[in-house]
Amino acid sequence: MAGRHEKDVEYVGDSRVIKRRGGPLTPPDYTEFPGKTEPFYPNFLLKEWMIAVVSLVAFLVLTMAHPSPLEAPANPNDTSYTPLPDWYFFFLYQLLKYEYTSGPYTVVGTILIPGLAFAALLLAPWLDRGPKRRPKDRPVATSLMLLALAAIVFLTWAAVDEHQKHMASQGGGSGAPTVEVSPDAPEGEKIWAKQTTCQGCHGVDLKGSGFAPSLEHVGSNLSQEQIVDIIKNGKGQMPPGQFQGSEEELQKLAEWLAQKK
Amino acid sequence: MSDKENGQGMSRRQFLTYTLMGTGAFMAAGILTPMLRFAVDPALKRTSSAGKVEVGKVDDFGPDYKLVKFKVKIKDGWHEEEAEKSAYIRNKDGKILALSPICKHLGCQVQWNTSPDRPNHFYCPCHNGFYDENGINVPGTPPQAPLDEYEVEVKDGKLLLSLTPKPRGGA
Amino acid sequence: MFRRIYQWLDERLNIGPLWRDLADHEVPEHVNPAHHFSAFVYCFGGLTFFITVIQILSGMFLTMYYVPDILNAYQSVKYLQNEVAFGVIVRGMHHWGASLVIVMMFLHTLRVFFTGAYKSPREMNWVVGMLLFFVMLGLGFTGYLLPWDQKAYWATQVGVKIAGSVPLIGPYIETFLKGGDVLGAQTLARFFAIHVFFLPGVLLALMGVHFILIRRQGISGPL
Repeated sequence: MAGRHEKDVEYVGDSRVIKRRGGPLTPPDYTEFPGKTEPFYPNFLLKEWMIAVVSLVAFLVLTMAHPSPLEAPANPNDTSYTPLPDWYFFFLYQLLKYEYTSGPYTVVGTILIPGLAFAALLLAPWLDRGPKRRPKDRPVATSLMLLALAAIVFLTWAAVDEHQKHMASQGGGSGAPTVEVSPDAPEGEKIWAKQTTCQGCHGVDLKGSGFAPSLEHVGSNLSQEQIVDIIKNGKGQMPPGQFQGSEEELQKLAEWLAQKK
Repeated sequence: MSDKENGQGMSRRQFLTYTLMGTGAFMAAGILTPMLRFAVDPALKRTSSAGKVEVGKVDDFGPDYKLVKFKVKIKDGWHEEEAEKSAYIRNKDGKILALSPICKHLGCQVQWNTSPDRPNHFYCPCHNGFYDENGINVPGTPPQAPLDEYEVEVKDGKLLLSLTPKPRGGA
Repeated sequence: MFRRIYQWLDERLNIGPLWRDLADHEVPEHVNPAHHFSAFVYCFGGLTFFITVIQILSGMFLTMYYVPDILNAYQSVKYLQNEVAFGVIVRGMHHWGASLVIVMMFLHTLRVFFTGAYKSPREMNWVVGMLLFFVMLGLGFTGYLLPWDQKAYWATQVGVKIAGSVPLIGPYIETFLKGGDVLGAQTLARFFAIHVFFLPGVLLALMGVHFILIRRQGISGPL
């Protein structure tokens, strides 16, 4: 049985193929490379795994030290939110803010520049055809790539910088407007401060907006029970079930609102 | 695989292989432990079925079974809803018995005293299962266990039931 | 025991050459960090693969709790992160791993670029690598929406609008991505499908080609 395969078991070594220039395919050996070679398994793999172990431990420590962020639930009515993409899209995002990449030139920023950059990368082997491989022997390719890198770093930095300044001018921390509450404020006010969904329409300061009425004197029209009912079931334009929190917190919030006369 | 050079100790290749397996096991454990624990979490989580729900006044119930429906708040992961449950309740000889109407055979709803074949029995129409008036399954019919029983509590003349019925031994 | 199973299989399938090709190929000195510390730059490709494996595994496990529905998506993410044992770690692996895989892939691409490793005869593998990069960015974009929090919603709103600015076909792309006129339930469902089934399928296929090509052609020589 085993004898049948004897002639093709000679796989030890490398099976690289270089481009055929006539002649049969012969797997070259590594004698063309100077220095010591070693088999992939187990010698080299072990080294790779050592690096993998170190990376994994660092990675696990990171995941434990920094829980993944989760902001307030999506609220399509909150137009004051300033969005940010994932950090590796910052440079594309920032690119769209400049004069010749926005307004009537949006296409330049969204399609032309990224498209050209991606096409150039995709076709790099055919644009940079010389046989030389050292970076300094192919100055055009190297300098273009360095330029692109510098641009990406700059745009990413600019995006972060602008966002931070914007947030500072808004006075908000994480994007969603939040209210400053003193620690000795009534329980209901603290709960209200967390209800970004409610604030989206009724305003952080209860002043209301558009179709959402002001809640500054809501207690003069409605009792605590009626408020609870409206929060739970909605009313008119107001969708039901927007409150985030426990039943007890809902009662406290309604109690606080009912005192607003 | 075995290239022991001179029969004693382990070869360099073997040592490297063992080290590979060791670190490999470490990485697999590091990656998979959280994921597996995460996956099986519901199985290990203790469900809190504490609490009682009011179903009516004690005086409403007589010696004959009465079917009551009541609502129970159910927390299903992040989803909370009110589920409707029901119980057969009687108050006979000062002892209150509250039984779940879920048949122990395949989960149909049993009915009290609706089969002319066996009066004063719980009857399951799906596969002709029977339970006697105490909810004990009748041998020779499909169910293999008595109907589940709610814990009962009387407070200020009101009848409270536990949120989930418990299985009973017997028969 | 294992030897017997192996022999039984080998007699029938001649599997030796399959794994010996992988196990016994010689690794040259210039990529071996043990010989030249600077050769660690050759590890980025392997690390990209390693983190990709973690991404696939953690993603599979996350779908045990995650619900792609606008009413429940946020609650389910909140639940799996805060209430389920090791939820912080499993979601953390997927969340931070998504960034890390981009970093590693970026470094790997730079290594290949600056060592001129994409030159003949390895042009095809460079192209496959670029496509992999594109698919990874797509995975990042579609995955960002899934927790359905404020950041996810508004960033996707912007991303979809960018896609909509393409001349002529832009509006069609925008509607296709949204699955309708508004960014809502249908958007979430299709982003989920794209993130979990379509792009990973493409990713695995491209990775297969990437690895077969490098095995056929070997790693490029020293500079």
